Amino acid sequence: MKICQVEGTLVATARIGSLQNRRLLVVKERGSNAKQVAVDPVGCKPGDWVIAVGSSAARDAAGSKDYPSDLTIVGIIDYWDDASGQAGANAGSKESAAGGVKADANSSRRA
Amino acid sequence: MQIHRVVRDLVTTKRNFWLAAKPLRVVEDHRGNLEVALDPLGAKPGDFVFTIGLSAARTAAGNPNITTDLTIGGIIDHWDEERWRN
Repeated sequence: MKICQVEGTLVATARIGSLQNRRLLVVKERGSNAKQVAVDPVGCKPGDWVIAVGSSAARDAAGSKDYPSDLTIVGIIDYWDDASGQAGANAGSKESAAGGVKADANSSRRA
Repeated sequence: MQIHRVVRDLVTTKRNFWLAAKPLRVVEDHRGNLEVALDPLGAKPGDFVFTIGLSAARTAAGNPNITTDLTIGGIIDHWDEERWRN
């Protein structure tokens, strides 16, 4: 799943029939500048941080196996501060580093 | 789905059976990379469209047997180049 930020709605009157009248949103993936279009069954506002699924899970998430979507929003993140998101990632790596130390201690004990 | 701009038509007379007689268009992304997309709608050159990729491209083509990995899903009503490039 990808973490994306909603930019706004996308209006496309001429569309293939199987897309029905679902809401489409322009989203930007975290850490990249490229805009993508996602189906929104949830109901997001511009600026919301959301999680989106790709591949065949996107079709199921949009409601049916036959729905032609390759990116579907599955949830709105309650609290996401982009800067703290990065800090969180750092903290995670620190923890794993600490875990690595612990593992080393164990292995030395075993040795 | 991605946002593309239609560049021109693409004619291939000799083609795979499962491409059927579906029209093809050359489309470009915001970086100018060219790709070929199947077009069930009839988009004109210069139109901004959103394209469906992966296996959903096959269902979007109207028949899951059609061998495509990029299909135009719709023509965008309002879009401008500046928003697209940045």
